[in-house]
Amino acid sequence: MANRRDPNDPAIVRAPWGPEVDGRRLLAESVGFGRALRAAGLATDLGASVDFARALTLVDMGQRDTVRAAGEAVFVRRRDDREVYDRVFNRWWRRRGRKRPAGDGPAVPTDDVSAAEAEDGLGSPGGDEGTLGDDTNRIDGIPMAIESDEDADGEIDGIIAAPTAYSSSELLRHRDFDRMTAAELRDAERLVDLLEPRLELRRTRRYELHHHGRLLAPRTMLRRNMATGGQFTEWIWRRHTKRPRRIVVLCDISGSMERHSRLLLRFVQALSAASSVKTESFVFGTRLTRVTRLLRDRDRDRALARVADTVNDWAGGTRIGESFQDFNRHWARRTLRTSGVVIVVSDGWDRGDPALVATETARLRRNCHRLVWLNPLAGTPGYEPLAGGMRAALPYVDDFVPAGTVASLERLGEILAGIRSSDVRRGGDAAASADAGERQSSQAIRSIAPPAPLDVASDPVAARPLSPRGSTR
Amino acid sequence: MSRTIEPSSNTPLDSVESIVAGFRERDYVCDRSLATAVFLALRLDRPLLLEGEAGVGKTELAKVLAASLGTRLIRLQCYEGLDVNAAVYEWNYPRQMLEIRLLEARGQADRANAHDIFGPDFLIRRPLLQALEADPDGEPPVLLIDEIDRADEEFEAYLLEILSDFQVTVPEIGTIKAARPPRVILTSNRTREVHDALKRRCLYHWIDYPTAQKEFEIVLARVPDAPEQLAREVVAFVHRLREADLTKVPGIAETLDWAAALLSLGSRELTGEVVDETLGVVLKYEEDIRRIRGDTARSYLQEAGATA
Repeated sequence: MANRRDPNDPAIVRAPWGPEVDGRRLLAESVGFGRALRAAGLATDLGASVDFARALTLVDMGQRDTVRAAGEAVFVRRRDDREVYDRVFNRWWRRRGRKRPAGDGPAVPTDDVSAAEAEDGLGSPGGDEGTLGDDTNRIDGIPMAIESDEDADGEIDGIIAAPTAYSSSELLRHRDFDRMTAAELRDAERLVDLLEPRLELRRTRRYELHHHGRLLAPRTMLRRNMATGGQFTEWIWRRHTKRPRRIVVLCDISGSMERHSRLLLRFVQALSAASSVKTESFVFGTRLTRVTRLLRDRDRDRALARVADTVNDWAGGTRIGESFQDFNRHWARRTLRTSGVVIVVSDGWDRGDPALVATETARLRRNCHRLVWLNPLAGTPGYEPLAGGMRAALPYVDDFVPAGTVASLERLGEILAGIRSSDVRRGGDAAASADAGERQSSQAIRSIAPPAPLDVASDPVAARPLSPRGSTR
Repeated sequence: MSRTIEPSSNTPLDSVESIVAGFRERDYVCDRSLATAVFLALRLDRPLLLEGEAGVGKTELAKVLAASLGTRLIRLQCYEGLDVNAAVYEWNYPRQMLEIRLLEARGQADRANAHDIFGPDFLIRRPLLQALEADPDGEPPVLLIDEIDRADEEFEAYLLEILSDFQVTVPEIGTIKAARPPRVILTSNRTREVHDALKRRCLYHWIDYPTAQKEFEIVLARVPDAPEQLAREVVAFVHRLREADLTKVPGIAETLDWAAALLSLGSRELTGEVVDETLGVVLKYEEDIRRIRGDTARSYLQEAGATA
């Protein structure tokens, strides 16, 4: 092996930890590892593989933990990737592993390996257990410790994330979407077209110059009036910029919602595809699944098909409380930042504990700007929110909207546009009234009163009365 | 492999071991994987993006790194609406105005030209520019871009440009390029996902909560007056809390605060009453405190006592 290396070859690198290593092989190994990671779902690129090769020349290549940490720093870009990375790394290390003689440095490549060791040890020779067979001839450039393991024969190229946890107690059903008909597509698009320009705006911390602004822009004024030697001849105003609020959709896909979930998901999908709004979407039945990335696909049918494939609690039971808890704990902070609007799509039929639904809905309410609940059943005449989950959640809901059909969904536009923002009921009030045992359905029903007449012209921004300060200029 | 670690006051950070040792000297206990990430960031000249729950020592790491390298720490705290004027540079307009007036008063206004007022003297250097302009002969400074997730996307896009070229163009002066790029540490609490393009330029490390043993070492290092018994109990209790179903899990910062608080109250050991009285140091949500205070705390204490 060694005689194949030409010391003048620029590809030969000398690691500080051992003899020189053929850089081309090192690179090939790194690229192969990167490819395996990509196959397992990590978003890595070639640059990361090159970095990994460079990193390997800087650290002790024989030490498993060091190599693992180096690869982690280079390849992993989000916390959730670490698990996948570890799994792929273990396989890779095993496959590329070579025996390291006891007590020696890391860098003495030997030929035949029938090696083994215990646990996660770092090349400490143990009893003879596993044989790596033909794998051992693949490399001669990267001497590495060997690790045996019961499933050492796993294919590195074929590593995919393990199937999601399965619980037999849950009713897991698979669901196929038909292709959308042209009419359905039109409906969904119409809805979003209706909605998009009317979403409630949030004042950001950024400013823009604007002749209707109420704040002076001293920086620009000084700059522009430089020519007159500091005599202010021109007044310049600025105002806060505005942006649509983020929207988080939590869509119930349990059995009782089966009839509606098609339409609603299509609506969610159309909303996600609209670029001007940041939308996060989740579906829940017995568990919460994030489908934001899946729904972002431009091909609508493919997006829905992928959701159908990923989610495995279609048309099963509902655990609203647990699902909200999961959302509150793991996603609320990242997706809402207290300024977003949450839209829950559910009929409120729940198998779990209503008390949990109440606490978690209250928590959800505290974490967002506005909590909208779309209920497909609420459109039926004489509906009363008697379902356990619905009753528990209702005191904390800002807007309770029937959502049986596309027509009734249109009312959502009005709500999201913030036209009724004056009667936002903050979570504090709701919690107080709930504590006082005032969770009566009469109070709740009030919010299902027929929608106020839709006034398209009333722009919440333009309609704001002028402040006295504004008239002074 | 068999390099000897020489803990001197100024350990060169030229290996993973020396980083672990150098940080330890400054009372920062870090594990090898974090040290490896820091080491690679230094050697590959790449920014290091640190993520982790609040209070696990992300910001502290940048401070310790600057101290270990014997260089300056330049900190940029991010917030929504952070713009170039606050992050990179700004002209000192009032001073420019004064200068114009002065020149007029002296009757020199006709001889003055733009260079007189748009010169380096009138430039206010914000953190990013400071980091680029550092002394070319000395050790480059450590630039800490703290809580990048709080800045908005516009600023992130701008940062991308700076982090790839380490240069800034001020139209009136020209391009300012770093002689040696600063060591950059970015931290994020993950209130939103940092954009992939930015991540691609960085090395990444997720800082986990430490093991009980490690946290015990951290408490002893940071609160040196704390008796070992107390430190052990505090750590065991906090670890038990982290397993509990809480709105906000306490970080290392809370553990240290708590140990210091108990010490100043003169407690030598954890008792039910002491826990109830001081729980607000560790738990920051009313509902969490209500849940833990009383019987739950006592049962945790017993469990903690068994492991401590």
